[in-house]
Amino acid sequence: MTTRRRFLKLTAAASLAPAVASAQGTGQGTGQGAGRVVVVGGGFAGATAARTLRALEPKLTVTLVEPNRIFTACPFSNGVLAALREIGQQQFGYDGVARAGVTLAQTSATAVDAAAKSVTLADGNKLSYDRLVLAPGIDIRWDALPGYDEAAAEKMPHAWKAGAQTVLLRQQLQAMEDGGLVVMSAPANPFRCPPGPYERASLIAYWLKIWKPKSKLLILDAKDAFSKQRLFQNAWAQLYPGIIEWVSLSQGGKVTSVDPSTLTLVTDFARHKAAVANVIPPQKAGAIAQQAGIADRTGWCPVEPVAFESTLQPGIHVLGDAAIMGGMPKSAFAANAQAKVCAAAIVELLAGRKPVDPLLINTCYSLVAPDYGISIAGVYRPDKGVLADVPGAGGISPLEVVGGFRAQEALFADSWFKTITAETFG
Amino acid sequence: MRRLLLPVLASASLLAGLAGAPAWAADAPPGASSCTGCHAIRQVADSVIPQITGRTAADIANTMRQYRSGAWPSSVMGRIAKGFDESQIDAIATWFAAQKE
Repeated sequence: MTTRRRFLKLTAAASLAPAVASAQGTGQGTGQGAGRVVVVGGGFAGATAARTLRALEPKLTVTLVEPNRIFTACPFSNGVLAALREIGQQQFGYDGVARAGVTLAQTSATAVDAAAKSVTLADGNKLSYDRLVLAPGIDIRWDALPGYDEAAAEKMPHAWKAGAQTVLLRQQLQAMEDGGLVVMSAPANPFRCPPGPYERASLIAYWLKIWKPKSKLLILDAKDAFSKQRLFQNAWAQLYPGIIEWVSLSQGGKVTSVDPSTLTLVTDFARHKAAVANVIPPQKAGAIAQQAGIADRTGWCPVEPVAFESTLQPGIHVLGDAAIMGGMPKSAFAANAQAKVCAAAIVELLAGRKPVDPLLINTCYSLVAPDYGISIAGVYRPDKGVLADVPGAGGISPLEVVGGFRAQEALFADSWFKTITAETFG
Repeated sequence: MRRLLLPVLASASLLAGLAGAPAWAADAPPGASSCTGCHAIRQVADSVIPQITGRTAADIANTMRQYRSGAWPSSVMGRIAKGFDESQIDAIATWFAAQKE
């Protein structure tokens, strides 16, 4: 199986590049079901799409373009901040994806030529494709919040891409004096993981209550409402009274600039000096989306709701956080579910058949405390050109529960993480 | 808490290993591929979420209908089952029941 594992690396001599491109272009048969699919981005969407394509149609040549050898998962990374987990528990390699028969190109995609159906890689190679899947995740909009650039993120971490930023924020929290003020800022919609900032606030508060009991946490929000809001706020009142304060948009919560030299977050009404500042900034689809011409003026990528093909560039499918998926939120569960649907649709399209209308589920757990979980779920189908909620389905956990309901949802959250990471990377 | 888990755990614990089962197949009906985000197609250590595979179609369909009607208490499954109609439930149940090693 390891013979399938081909890394197209920077070390390839320039003279070999045309040969590689040629092999990609003509190396496979042209029989029914055969074809070349390039997948860009090795997260929950891209890695799932790549291996599902191979599982559905072993004749396909599938190349996954991903510069990192190790993926660091965002779900559950808030637990790392609260010292409930270590960053290593968030990390997964691509051996399982390679064993599924996917060719790994350990480099970045730098350009897409939709007309020529080719992707240019940072190592100089070009990959031709019959269908392209772009799953680049998010990029931070460094131009959107005055004062917040890449240097500022080293002082005021966003930790919205799990990894070094997560570890940095945890170190800052641990180094903070008891009594210090933690300030978080949450962006306007849409952004990756809608309940994420509030799960983060919850778990930081859980940790503060134990280790820094004189400290408080302030959330400055560019919104007046957020995901699972009543569940979170009820839990905060019960578990963390007096620790978490949420300032909504209409209460002046929108952060208009930051000063990293003094760890100050500025709103129209006040300046908040933090001991630890976590700025969750505005976001957009990953950079290759802009370059490929699949992002619209919002910075995100419109798609049709059956195969998730871009409405701006034919032959390019967009998955996960980068895409505008109608009612479906930007979650890991959604990315994985979309990837499986998209892979099946691509197999149909390459065989000259029309994909059937899909049905998709999203389930998203948040931990308010290690033994206190809450959830939101939804079911989605194509309707009038968008992916729409199936009426009557979905919703949040009950506001009133008996017995061990919250503890059970925390257990389900843990099992979900093990299952989805095993399916994607195992 | 035990009440929620009992009906499904009982049968899940009897499952044979399904390591060779196809993760996804081209003939999977709409909705089926989303299920495996939570319900492992292969045994995952320490998961409290029961597997769907290895059960009869009648068992799977009945479970979905009990959750959908609220007759059985659940956390997310009641909310999810309400998004599936009769024929979608039957199609998913038949398909998962047919996924053998």
